[in-house]
Amino acid sequence: MPSIVTAERLSKTFQVKVRDPGLRGALRALFRPRYRDVHAVRDVTFRLEPGEIVAFLGPNGAGKTTTLKMLAGLLYPTNGRVEVAGFVPWTGGPPFKRRIALVLGNRQQLVWDLPPEETFLLNRAIYDIPEADYRERLAELVALLELGDVLQKPVRQLSLGERMKCELTASLLHRPPLLFLDEPTLGLDVTAQEAIRRFLIAYRERHGATVLLTSHYMQDVTALASRVLMINRGRLLYDGALEALVARIARTKRIELVLGGGGGDGNRVTAEALAAFGEVKSFRFPNAVLEVRREDAPATSARLLAAFPVADLSIEDPPIEEVIRLAFARGVEEDE
Amino acid sequence: MIRRYAALIRNAWLVDLQYRASIVLWLLWGVTEPAIALGIWWAIAGDGSVAGYARADFARYFFAVMLINQLTIAWDSWYLDRWIREGDLNYRLARPLHPAHEAVAENIAYKARTASVILVVWLLVAAAWPAVRLPFDPGRWAITALAVLLAAAMRFFISFTTGLLAFWTTRATAIMELHAGVSLFLAGRIAPLALLPPAVAGVAGALWFRSMLAFPVDVLTGAVHGTDAVLRGLAWQAVWLGVWIAAYRLAWSRGIRRYGAVGG
Repeated sequence: MPSIVTAERLSKTFQVKVRDPGLRGALRALFRPRYRDVHAVRDVTFRLEPGEIVAFLGPNGAGKTTTLKMLAGLLYPTNGRVEVAGFVPWTGGPPFKRRIALVLGNRQQLVWDLPPEETFLLNRAIYDIPEADYRERLAELVALLELGDVLQKPVRQLSLGERMKCELTASLLHRPPLLFLDEPTLGLDVTAQEAIRRFLIAYRERHGATVLLTSHYMQDVTALASRVLMINRGRLLYDGALEALVARIARTKRIELVLGGGGGDGNRVTAEALAAFGEVKSFRFPNAVLEVRREDAPATSARLLAAFPVADLSIEDPPIEEVIRLAFARGVEEDE
Repeated sequence: MIRRYAALIRNAWLVDLQYRASIVLWLLWGVTEPAIALGIWWAIAGDGSVAGYARADFARYFFAVMLINQLTIAWDSWYLDRWIREGDLNYRLARPLHPAHEAVAENIAYKARTASVILVVWLLVAAAWPAVRLPFDPGRWAITALAVLLAAAMRFFISFTTGLLAFWTTRATAIMELHAGVSLFLAGRIAPLALLPPAVAGVAGALWFRSMLAFPVDVLTGAVHGTDAVLRGLAWQAVWLGVWIAAYRLAWSRGIRRYGAVGG
């Protein structure tokens, strides 16, 4: 099957006015404005296959949203080629827009003063959704998102989580095969985040939709995405499975111990004793976490088991947040 | 497209109903300005007339201004400015409907609401006060309707296009304020153009200001009559409408390419 999204050497450069501080700077900017080029996205190339859920990772200002907006046809790229669902986004017009959904976590289409159902009805008209389809899809989305009694309340009285659920409903009534989600869980509590994740997985399974999302929450990425695109300062640093990224970046493993014995203070295991085996990340009897070099993990584990009374031992990758932080700090390439 | 417009207008009205107080305020604003202007000219005219306008003529003129200004006014530059600066344009661009359609629907909803109230007020006042009655003349009303439609379309494109300047500047609404200030005089909102110094009235006629409001008002009150004068006025309206549509198309196609402040 052909790719549903193809981006080749995609670039976006903004011109930003620069101004010196103070009145003199303001005056100079008025008469002789100076501009600086900001390269929001540089030479980004990737493809998405139908049915994939792919996460965009990157710090604020990395170029995630700009890329998403170019794919959705909102922004014109400065350079490069894009094909989305068989269209060039910014010339695709209505037929293209019927094939996508764009959900922005910080900007919502719901009419603030009216119940969400009024926005749904508006979208039914805008997307020419037949009555029977509308009712069937709304019922499905309401059930999957557990929206029940929310539909008749004015949007301004809804919680953030309820609003995002309604936003997703409004965006999916025309059943687009391709979803662009920008921070769909932004600001939500853990329960609401989980509900959104469960929904996205269920929706993808039912309708085979392709999803490209950005998020600051690593749980979104680990729970949803089979693949990550890592972007920093406009450049694509990594494209592949999350596990492979961890293996590449993380030079260490964590050995988590639950120590046994413990009796009198005399024979209790101390942090100092553990430090001989690796870096002690935390120690609170009977729990201890040691960090060791990746390749040493099996041998060190064996030595620990021989040296101490151990009730339980497991070897883990470092937390994903830390891996990502390391990846951005060091860059992915140099670690190869 | 009719179903889409129906849904958009329905939502606009539903939102209005949430803000009954603000409707009354807008209405008061729409009534106050011509009422004050009428009061001043009423006092100046006294028992005589100014440039051929007696009290009754002023009364008819400003009632017509009240109605036709509400039928042709456009607030789109304020919406556009906010959509562009705050990012509300994003989801509008992602929908298979040009944002201008939403703006037009919004205009129809607003105009139907305020103009119908003003029309009722006018009818009530006319029942008690013969001075503001208009002669029964369906032909003139039909021409007025056409002139109002052209003026409304032109003012929509002026407002929408000015709002699009928000792609380039943060002062788009200030430019619109300036335009509104100038049109206070040049469009005939505080005085019939016939009362302005000839040079000023000439500018109003040479630019689009007369076509915005004064011309349809004068058609309704009968100040402009005769096939020649009416046709010439309609032709100017059509020309300026064309100019503003061209300006809109240019601003939209250029602006949308510029769109997108850095973020995310």
